[in-house]
Amino acid sequence: MIRVLIADDHAVFRAGLRMLLGAQPDIEVVGEAGDGWQTLKQAERIRPDVILLDLTMPGMPGLQTLALLRRQVPDAKILILTMHEDEAYLRQALAEGAAGYIIKRATDEELVTAIRAVARGEIYIHPAMTRALLEDLIPAPKLPEAHEPWESLSEREQQVLRLVAVGHTNQEIADRLGLSVKTVETYRARGMEKLGLRTRAQLVRYMIQKGLLKEE
Amino acid sequence: MKRQVLQRAIERFWEIAGGVSVRTKILGIVLGGTLLFGMTTVLQVRYALHQVLVARTQDWGIAIASDLAARSTDLVLINDLLGLYRLLKDAVDHNPEIRYLFVLSPQGEVLAHTFGTGPEFPAGLIEANTLPPGASYHLQPLRTPEGIIWDIAVPIFRGRAGVLRLGLRDTAVRAAVNTVTTWLLLTTIAVSALSIGIALILTHLIVRPIRGLVAMTERVARRDFTARATVWANDEIGALAQAFNNMVEELGQQERMRAFYLQRIIEAQEEERRRIARELHDETGQALASLRVGLRNLEQTTAPEALRSRLEDLYQLVDETLRRVRRLAFELRPSVLDDLGLVAALERYIRDYRERFGIEVEMQVVGLDERRIPPTIETAVYRIVQEALTNAAKHAKCQRISVLLQASPRLLSVIVEDDGCGFDVEYVLRDGRENRLGLYGMRERAQLVGGTLTIESAPGRGTTVYLRVPLEGV
Repeated sequence: MIRVLIADDHAVFRAGLRMLLGAQPDIEVVGEAGDGWQTLKQAERIRPDVILLDLTMPGMPGLQTLALLRRQVPDAKILILTMHEDEAYLRQALAEGAAGYIIKRATDEELVTAIRAVARGEIYIHPAMTRALLEDLIPAPKLPEAHEPWESLSEREQQVLRLVAVGHTNQEIADRLGLSVKTVETYRARGMEKLGLRTRAQLVRYMIQKGLLKEE
Repeated sequence: MKRQVLQRAIERFWEIAGGVSVRTKILGIVLGGTLLFGMTTVLQVRYALHQVLVARTQDWGIAIASDLAARSTDLVLINDLLGLYRLLKDAVDHNPEIRYLFVLSPQGEVLAHTFGTGPEFPAGLIEANTLPPGASYHLQPLRTPEGIIWDIAVPIFRGRAGVLRLGLRDTAVRAAVNTVTTWLLLTTIAVSALSIGIALILTHLIVRPIRGLVAMTERVARRDFTARATVWANDEIGALAQAFNNMVEELGQQERMRAFYLQRIIEAQEEERRRIARELHDETGQALASLRVGLRNLEQTTAPEALRSRLEDLYQLVDETLRRVRRLAFELRPSVLDDLGLVAALERYIRDYRERFGIEVEMQVVGLDERRIPPTIETAVYRIVQEALTNAAKHAKCQRISVLLQASPRLLSVIVEDDGCGFDVEYVLRDGRENRLGLYGMRERAQLVGGTLTIESAPGRGTTVYLRVPLEGV
């Protein structure tokens, strides 16, 4: 029997869940909580196997509740059940030790599957959210292979690109080097072309990788 | 101790000098200058004139004495004392400056004198001046109750016939000096009066425009930007008035702009609320109403097949509504910004943006990991980047956008750069175009958090928005 504590601030939603989970032969709802503090108290008292935790409840921020739960009841598996479909929340929740992450628009079957999975000690992440994690596995888009090395750039081109990378406006670069804005743009375009870069963001990444970006 | 006294004196001076009006100060300068000059002149002239006149008079006295001595030689030699007396008396009568004349024999007896009969010959006078042997004259000033008398001794017949003594008064000298002094003083007073008159006119010329400026400044302080100062002259005060006018012109312009944009911003805000209200009412409200009807239908549905299909419809409706509400909430204020910070919120926004507009957006963040910046700055940066990206999607026809966030301990630099068609920044900002409001809004937001916003763009050369926000003291 999987003993579940439901933590969500919407009573109607809790009732719905209780009904759904109560119908499962291997799941028993052993408690409900409407905010972070209540959840902590209930969890310490009941010692449930799984806590269904909403990230947005009144009072304590959800992620903080999660961290405290991990400390107080380390044996309980915490399954995040939330409206948030942002990968950032997912990452934070996993970092704080959540065992699973499921979104509220998931189907009943998915929810039950998730509870069973985390109860078995597995990690469950709702399919709608896995894409974000997979993107992490795919290596960051590689910078286009530089046509020519940094050293092949003329001194002026290097100067201009350095200033571009640290965030100066073309006008400021022109003023500093005593050139016209047009000339600065030409040097910049030529330098970027030689390195095979297309945007300022790429340039900054390139320079960080090559260790060329020094604090001024 | 000494310094304290000096300090006190300076403070006192400023108290007085600062307490009086400009008019009084100028009058003080003019009057003080004139009087000082007048008095110095009077003293100087008095002294110089006195010196010159004294020398002249003494020379004249010596000449008279020598002449009388020559003429009295024979009279002394033939012992004609009456003739001698007449000669002296005559000279004294004709020259009021001569106080007395007398002749001493070589033995020192008075042969003739002009003090009249009787014992009036002043005691000690004979001894008061002695002629050194061989000298052609000797002058000795004597202090007497009548004033200074220069006693001149001249030898008669090289001293063999005795000595002639002449007493010379300084009354004429004094009278002349006094007359000149009086005239100089009168002139000084007249010049002072004249200077005061001129100073009053000049003061008026200086003070009038200043009063005008003060009156104008007070009007501007009451937000009356039509106030203008009259430029009376082409001098420094005129330049000041001109500068004031330019400043008020500029202020008025800014005020009008601000009022215009405030109006537009309020309108835009109201428009946004209308949109949200309509969306809530028409979409969400409608969907919930449909849901209600659907649930009611379920009550009467008994056939398992129909039940399943209706339920499926209802689930879809709920999912669709949920999606819309979440989108609306996100547009209003992304909670990820509050919960997880700027970078997470921007990443989320950019992911949506990429899908919505099909534009390649690259974001690079330097020096901002693990670091939360104040919420007001996060909101401002988020909204500005959002606006810049929206503008790029709407106007730039670009393929690639790069978003760069660089944080140093003191500064947050945000650069949004596209490779689109660009625009003439000056032109758009100057001539009220539609998207000027957006640019103005970005700039206002930047200024509210103490930052600066620079836009670099030109037709055909893409657009770059630079935002710099100081993080110092945060």
